[in-house]
Amino acid sequence: MHFLYFDPSIGAMIVQAIVAAVAGIVLFSKGLMFKIKSFFGLIRNDEDLFDDIEIKESDIENKQSGDE
Amino acid sequence: MTSNKRHPSSFRDPSGYIFNKNGVVKRLIKPVYFKQYTSLKETGFFDKLFQNQLLIPHKEERSSATEIVLVPEQIPFITYPYEWSFLQYKEAALLTLKIQKFALEHGYTLKDASAFNVTFHNGQAMFIDTLSFDFYKDNEPWRAYKQFIGHFLGPLLLAHYHGSQSLNLLSNFIDGIPISMLSSMLPFKTRLNPFLYSNVHLLSKFEKKHNDDDHGDFKKQTHLSKKAQLNIVTALYGYIKKLTLSEHSEWGDYYNKTNYSHDAFTSKSSIINKWIKSLEPLTIIDVGGNDGKFIRQIGHNFTQALVCDIDSNAVDFNYKTAKVNHEKNIQPFVLDVLNPTADIGFNNEERASFIKRIKKFNPDVTMALAVIHHMTLTGNIPFNMSAQFFASFSRFLIIEFPTRKDSWVKRLLDVKRDFKDHFGFYDLDNFISGYSEFFEIQDQIPVDNSERIMFLLRRKDA
Repeated sequence: MHFLYFDPSIGAMIVQAIVAAVAGIVLFSKGLMFKIKSFFGLIRNDEDLFDDIEIKESDIENKQSGDE
Repeated sequence: MTSNKRHPSSFRDPSGYIFNKNGVVKRLIKPVYFKQYTSLKETGFFDKLFQNQLLIPHKEERSSATEIVLVPEQIPFITYPYEWSFLQYKEAALLTLKIQKFALEHGYTLKDASAFNVTFHNGQAMFIDTLSFDFYKDNEPWRAYKQFIGHFLGPLLLAHYHGSQSLNLLSNFIDGIPISMLSSMLPFKTRLNPFLYSNVHLLSKFEKKHNDDDHGDFKKQTHLSKKAQLNIVTALYGYIKKLTLSEHSEWGDYYNKTNYSHDAFTSKSSIINKWIKSLEPLTIIDVGGNDGKFIRQIGHNFTQALVCDIDSNAVDFNYKTAKVNHEKNIQPFVLDVLNPTADIGFNNEERASFIKRIKKFNPDVTMALAVIHHMTLTGNIPFNMSAQFFASFSRFLIIEFPTRKDSWVKRLLDVKRDFKDHFGFYDLDNFISGYSEFFEIQDQIPVDNSERIMFLLRRKDA
């Protein structure tokens, strides 16, 4: 059951395939740069005001209950 | 059955609505959303979001075959996207993406990504639309993607390239900044950035191109794996997290460049503290509170202090300080007292004006430090009108009056040039008579080593 109470725009739905491909390349190259930088010891541990996207919590517990 | 009057902002989503009963905000869920709600509840998804302080916690009050009623944790003062500083806006955007990724990983998706689904509570961004979640359908693109761009990425990009005033745009575009307008407003170099090109310019092109061929059968044409969608969300997160503002604050170092000596600052703080101690307020609003310097000098424990300022950068600095210090009771937001946030949306009732919200919040004390000369001399507001404004929402007012000898007042008067004489009324006597229409003077103390006088006023009817 879906509630399309606003127009998601068909164009915006189609374009996501390209956006995702670009995002994939961006993420891949970032990951690669990170690996290269850390290999040369260039990674600074700046204090971040915001966390990364992962939600830190008892993920293991959730996975276990999901596997049952 | 439902005799409750729904809140005027709660009509878009057919899954349910918000209503107000005896001053308590509640949420009603209609049977059409029971399946989703039950799943979200029973899989512990809601609980996980509560534990991580991402979603406003709620308790189920009652449940029947026709309706379920939730009572969410109450939020004393809601701020809207056009009242957030850059950092606050950024946090709200990151929160939305974080929740979308988490939802996808657990078989759900956010069916909308409106910036109005987020507000600030206990010193952090909080998702407040409990019914925004739906089941994820395999290989379906994110329906709220365009909304996310118009509500979050757009304003943030405009703020990055054109300054923080751009964040105010959502007060005109309640459904997000139009993508074509966003695309045309961004500098050409953004077209050379693959991330920005695809997320803004290409999106705009596709939107225009496919505008006419939507016959409701788009499921056939669109297909996006979960992995691909997670890439979009993660890349957006990474980009927004690094986005900064490239301007400097007009007021950011206010206290370093004003006419305040150290003595004057200490004297002013001790006067405020003396009065606050006697009033024992639980709630305070500091109008023109800059970066929250004076609020943090208060020795008294209050439950919530709202600190507003016209300068988005000062608000930004204040929010950053509150975040680093984990101060949950200080809520900074952007406000122009000369043009406070208006009622907007359908019937002009969807998003309440500042005046409506602050009257409801009803702060025990209002502080207006170093504000009156700006209101009077820059805004040309007569004393009795600014008095009426302050009297409309709080019983006690602590106000600072800089006399004509004060260097800031002199500067403001000097820039008036030929019109300087029109401001001859700016003096202590006229201030007192204007404010006496609405307030009684409880106390008045001059600030040491300055040309300023502090007043403690009490509203006449109270």
